[in-house]
Amino acid sequence: TSSVLSKDKDKSAASKDSTPEGAAKRQEDGAETAKQQLLDIIGNMKVEVSYRKKLQQLKASENKKQAVNKLEGPDSESSMRQGITENTQRDKPLNPELVKAASAVASSLPRNKKQTESELLAQLRRHEETTDEQKKGRTINIRNVISEMTVKRQSPAQWGARISSRISLQLDEDGQRIRPERSSTQSMDSRWYFCGFSFFVYRSLKVGKRLNIFTKASTEPEHALKTVSSPTIWDLEFAKEVAAVTAQPPRNGFEEMIQWTKEGILWEFPIDNEVGMEDDAEFHEHIFLEKHLEGFPKEGPIRHFMELVICGLSKNPYLSVKQKVEHIEWFQKYFEEKKELLQEI
Amino acid sequence: MAAAALCWALRAARQVLPLSCPRQVRSYHVDWRMLRDVKRRKMAYEYADERLRINAIRKNSILPKELQEVADKEIAALPRDSCPVRIRNRCVLTSRPRGVKRRWRLSRIVFRHFADHAQMSGVQRAMW
Repeated sequence: TSSVLSKDKDKSAASKDSTPEGAAKRQEDGAETAKQQLLDIIGNMKVEVSYRKKLQQLKASENKKQAVNKLEGPDSESSMRQGITENTQRDKPLNPELVKAASAVASSLPRNKKQTESELLAQLRRHEETTDEQKKGRTINIRNVISEMTVKRQSPAQWGARISSRISLQLDEDGQRIRPERSSTQSMDSRWYFCGFSFFVYRSLKVGKRLNIFTKASTEPEHALKTVSSPTIWDLEFAKEVAAVTAQPPRNGFEEMIQWTKEGILWEFPIDNEVGMEDDAEFHEHIFLEKHLEGFPKEGPIRHFMELVICGLSKNPYLSVKQKVEHIEWFQKYFEEKKELLQEI
Repeated sequence: MAAAALCWALRAARQVLPLSCPRQVRSYHVDWRMLRDVKRRKMAYEYADERLRINAIRKNSILPKELQEVADKEIAALPRDSCPVRIRNRCVLTSRPRGVKRRWRLSRIVFRHFADHAQMSGVQRAMW
């Protein structure tokens, strides 16, 4: 989120400079020759331009999102929006309808209309570019790949220090504290292994744009297999056997606790007070219990007594509806058995 | 309805752990008195509802007295071990009937033993 905040600050300054440039660029790219694409890629290798592009993209995407959110009421604009999403996949040059739609959207927004219009058009053109590239199969966008990587240059002394620190950390994991003297002798041998990796800064795996280098494995055959056969008893037994054979004894206290939780010996934290209690009944079924009083006489001490019982039950949060109904039915049975007694009185 | 409150407590105390888990089963009782106490607890749990309902009829100023007398006889006819009054909170480890702290279910001697060996979580020797 901090990066977004910094980009927000820089937007107001850089956006006005970048948008007329961006609009002009995009109009040139309408022809879309390979040469121009290459030139674009090389030109965008510089850090400044790529940063501006990111700002532009962010702002355009934000504007689009705002436009989408604000226009959910009126139907005409929503239909135009649908028109936008459909048309992007058909024509190569921008449709005049699209342009009209973009201008209408921009005019409805309270901000700078020309700016938003140009940004929307830029966003549309970018969508078209990506769809065309994906159709042709060239999904690898080199700019994305290289923009994420930064070349760091360090002196060999620093290399040695970094590597030795890495090795000492790795050795410490085994539980033995090795002195830096020993680590420096070992580092000489393994320095050559680590040389190649110093060019790319290690960042977290999920940061950055998707490169679309790998295609997702298709999940269709899995679904087909599952629908064919429901697990038979033999399958279950086999699965249990496999689990029993492959189950390793717990290596530490955490794994022991995990095993206990699976077996049910240990509760799950944070403690859920309603585990095992599945009261699907609504509150009115708990409180309004008069409908169960139909078997009783409408007047007399018994009715009075049962109304008190119901009053008490409605205030009871611990019993389920079934239990309350059983309670009332027990009384019904009891009074029916004692009917002769009651009639004597 | 104080009796109702007791019965609610009895039910709530029996909240079972999630269905898939095996309940903890005790196979060793320190002495026969403890075993008898365990039997009484089980019976009290079984008959708790009935006793509650019959007592609700008995401790009543609305219903006729004849009904209440009949209810008296009925509750007296229930097995003797089903009444919760016969349950004694014995120490869980030594079956000592007296000097048992309710929170830990342990007698004072066992409690002291464990607390001194630092096996009671959050228990410290008092000093002030």
